[in-house]
Amino acid sequence: MREQITELIYKSFLTLDDLNFSGYIDLCHSSFNYKIGAYSPEIRKQMIWLQESRDSLKLLFENLPKHNSDHSRLSRLGNVYLINQESNGDWSALTFLQVFRTTLDGGASELFAVGKIKDKIREEGGTLKLLDRDIQLETRMFGFGHHIPF
Amino acid sequence: MSKSAKEWIQTPPFPTSHFVDSRIYTDESLFKEEQEKIFNKSWIIACHETELPGAYDYRTFSHPGGAPLIIVKGEDQKIRSFYNICPHRGNTLLYDPVGNAKRITCIFHNWMFDTKGNCLEISRGKQGYQDRYTCEDASLREVKTEIGYGGFVWVNIDDDAMSLKDYIGDSMNMLEEQLSMPLEVFHYHKAIVDTNYKLWHDTNSEFYHDYMHYFNRATGMIQPGYFDRKYTGYPNGHASVGSMEIKYDAYAGSKARSVGWPGLAPGGWVLIDIFPGMTFNLRTSVLRMDTAIPLGPNKLVIEFRGLGLKSDTPEQRAERIRDHNFIWGPFGRNLHEDLLGVHGQGRAMREGTDSKWVIHGREENSTIHDEVGMRHFYAEWSKKMNRPAFNPLGDNKLSKAA
Repeated sequence: MREQITELIYKSFLTLDDLNFSGYIDLCHSSFNYKIGAYSPEIRKQMIWLQESRDSLKLLFENLPKHNSDHSRLSRLGNVYLINQESNGDWSALTFLQVFRTTLDGGASELFAVGKIKDKIREEGGTLKLLDRDIQLETRMFGFGHHIPF
Repeated sequence: MSKSAKEWIQTPPFPTSHFVDSRIYTDESLFKEEQEKIFNKSWIIACHETELPGAYDYRTFSHPGGAPLIIVKGEDQKIRSFYNICPHRGNTLLYDPVGNAKRITCIFHNWMFDTKGNCLEISRGKQGYQDRYTCEDASLREVKTEIGYGGFVWVNIDDDAMSLKDYIGDSMNMLEEQLSMPLEVFHYHKAIVDTNYKLWHDTNSEFYHDYMHYFNRATGMIQPGYFDRKYTGYPNGHASVGSMEIKYDAYAGSKARSVGWPGLAPGGWVLIDIFPGMTFNLRTSVLRMDTAIPLGPNKLVIEFRGLGLKSDTPEQRAERIRDHNFIWGPFGRNLHEDLLGVHGQGRAMREGTDSKWVIHGREENSTIHDEVGMRHFYAEWSKKMNRPAFNPLGDNKLSKAA
């Protein structure tokens, strides 16, 4: 099971790296919740930067072609640190995330973001699905940024 | 027909108030002059009062004029600002962006100061300086500080500066009621972009660039009332833009905002630009505050704050945060587009690219796509710099009758 969970997490990175948004959504449970947050020492507060359901995240992806976006490619590197089974049978996983950005012009790569991902995983229809993804970023500066979440 | 090299550098067929020489965005000597004549003479937002909740709480701030500052709340609850520079060997006094310091102590030699800028102790002072130099000589340099216009902490490096009230004048009147209640910062992040600070402020001073934002086209530009929004210019280079009702549900995935703002019409949106680089942007449920802090002619830090009402219920605050993030968060629909825009300008205008002019020539009776907001800014810029923005280095010749 641990191998399957790790593979699910890595598949979620690969699908987003490949801009395969429907592939990513297919990995998500029907009750999927997605969140990106960061702690700001400047205002002494935990911040929420993005919070989506499966449906709203799907819409976010579908709307992307209507927007002006940086087209640099993002590459996600994860190290799954911990996997535990919860009392209700769900699984939780803690993954260290690094995101690299590679420019289209010349292909220079740079570290774009680091953080940790807390996932909850549940079996749905005989398949493991992402139930909750909570990304806590250490990085809080992204230059001109990016439209595609991690 | 495309242009030859000679045609490319000809002045645009507008009055000289309607275009600028792009060297004002790239020239190092002009930037140094701006720091001296503009930033060190203007009131600048350093932080919000809620970032200093208790006595001895401090924030550090890199002032765009160059000086590093400490903003600190004293035991008497008064907020004061000082250079973050030890008078001994010039060390940074407080390293962290935020903290609590009853005694501001330099890590180098343990010199100690209170939150009023008084020197409390010079380590082994008597032994080393005898009576030649005492704590009386070693106070911190204080910077004028006022709180106002939504609880923001404003600083001015110039000891002889006019009051904040006189500096702002009537420019904040459109938000007087909306900012009269206690606010709270719920979002803060910075972005560093290779661009000039004026280009960011320009983007906040013109709405013609709504063509860049699909969200704004859908929810604003094609909606009734959009082209009625008007610019108003005020003394000292400030400007405001009137409101309209934004149709948030015209964008797939967005919905009509259920939380509003006291004193603002449902769906309303008021924007006020404060010279030289701050913008109050109240969009229905959220106040966004931008502070542009240039690091050089083509390097800019922008501080972004999102604010709600201190009296918010958890549910209201959650709504405001969601509304903020949808367009203005680090992954929001609009912010990335705006940053991408000024990044592209910085890339195209950097020294040596032969970028020559930037045009601010649209005239539409001061309505939303008129470029009068930028023209108003550059009139003030030219006055403060004592040089016209269309000919900042005195070597341009007008090609056509302007």
